[in-house]
Amino acid sequence: MRFVRQALAIAAKDLRAEMRTKEAWNASLAFALVILLLFSFAFEPTAEQTREIAGGLLWLVFAFAGALILNRSFARELPNDCLDALVASPVAPAALYLGKALASFLLLTAVELVALPVFGVFYNVRWTAQFWPLMLVLVLGTWALTVIGTIFSALTVNLRLRELMLPTLVYPLLVPGLMAAMQLMTPLVVGQPLGPELYDWLKLLAGFDIIFTALSLALVETVLVG
Amino acid sequence: MREKILVGLAGLAGLLLVRNLYVMLLELPDEAAQGAIYRIIFFHVPAAWTAFVCFFVALVASVLYLLRKNLRYDAVAVSATEVGLAFGAVNLVTGMIWARIIWGIWWTWDARLTSMLVCWLLYAGYLMLRRAVEDPTLRARFAAVFSIFAFVDVPIVWFSIKWWRTQHPGPVVWGGGSMDPAMYQMLFLNWVPVLLLGAVLTLLRMRLEETQRAVEALRQFR
Amino acid sequence: MDERNFMFMFYGFAAAWLILAGYVISLVRREKVLKRQLEQLRRMLEHQEETP
Repeated sequence: MRFVRQALAIAAKDLRAEMRTKEAWNASLAFALVILLLFSFAFEPTAEQTREIAGGLLWLVFAFAGALILNRSFARELPNDCLDALVASPVAPAALYLGKALASFLLLTAVELVALPVFGVFYNVRWTAQFWPLMLVLVLGTWALTVIGTIFSALTVNLRLRELMLPTLVYPLLVPGLMAAMQLMTPLVVGQPLGPELYDWLKLLAGFDIIFTALSLALVETVLVG
Repeated sequence: MREKILVGLAGLAGLLLVRNLYVMLLELPDEAAQGAIYRIIFFHVPAAWTAFVCFFVALVASVLYLLRKNLRYDAVAVSATEVGLAFGAVNLVTGMIWARIIWGIWWTWDARLTSMLVCWLLYAGYLMLRRAVEDPTLRARFAAVFSIFAFVDVPIVWFSIKWWRTQHPGPVVWGGGSMDPAMYQMLFLNWVPVLLLGAVLTLLRMRLEETQRAVEALRQFR
Repeated sequence: MDERNFMFMFYGFAAAWLILAGYVISLVRREKVLKRQLEQLRRMLEHQEETP
């Protein structure tokens, strides 16, 4: 119980700090919108074939936008040695990690919820037709992104070239999760229901989330404390 | 003593390789459908197996490092990973050359090719991560954590990509292999020297890591 | 076609060995660089001890 309270306190702290400066939020949202715009030059936006890759496009946007948020997650604590203070505080490292993951998750989900309608308008798709299944995939995929991103945000926070290291380490690890999310998103975002042939991908995505949440919780103390 | 073991292992690998090359080039006939080129498999497949053995060794060494905090395990982990990457590259490149003849293309986004490429990129990330950390113990710790993440990811990558339609010939070992017994035997026979070679290279790389450690230790004195 | 098939078999073998040879060469080169650095550092430290 104390663990959950600690994690929620960290998440609330991060979200409050973000609400005041909006630095990660602004950068991530602007970036997502710019990429959506750029994709419309690369592909004929209203063509039938663009619908077939819609899920992939969206997750690319989310993965890029997510990297910006995740980069800030632990880097935010660097000025004034806040990270050392947090690690030294009675908060368990796993709770610190979970709180930060939760905050990044909520932020990224918010960015996605703004980007989705924009995507719907730009690319002329009826993404609301399968709203709840879409939300399920969005939540599972975003958690996959944040759970791995946050642990590596902690790992890379003190490195040279932090901003470059995070995506190069995280994207290859994310391949199965992103692939499943893309497969699932493609029919949903153009308003088609999930066929039973896609349930395996749903299971894979959920399993991916569970495995890496457990692994990160087990290893976060090693990363932060040693 | 260590030098002697190294030379001995390398010599044994060399002898076995010469013997195997003799058999596979002069005694084994061309394959009915593929012609001479099928012989690439005798290096292609053992290279992949060796790469995965290396990554597994790296995983074990990484876990041991986190438990014991002895930098020797870190040296094993980085050496095995690097050698695994070299064998992974052999696997990918020989596969591409084979594909050029059999499929007429250098590359296709088939399940196994993609999986191997993702694995390769994962472990290349491991080396990049090491370069970005200056402090040896911090570097060892972070690298060990990443190695564990990477190894857990490998089977998931494998299964997820398998659900795409596959163009690669079925696994020759488990499930429906249609290979001539003599050729099949050769696959394993040639794995022995390739694996030995991997061990030799790993030991060589570990020696390099020790020199590196000595340099770092002296730097701190200065 | 047959000849090309045969040639590519040798390309495949050669590629495998070239990659491994390249790796060994890189090992040797890195070892040389490190040995040189080690020598330099040793000399520097000895020099420091002589002139306190």
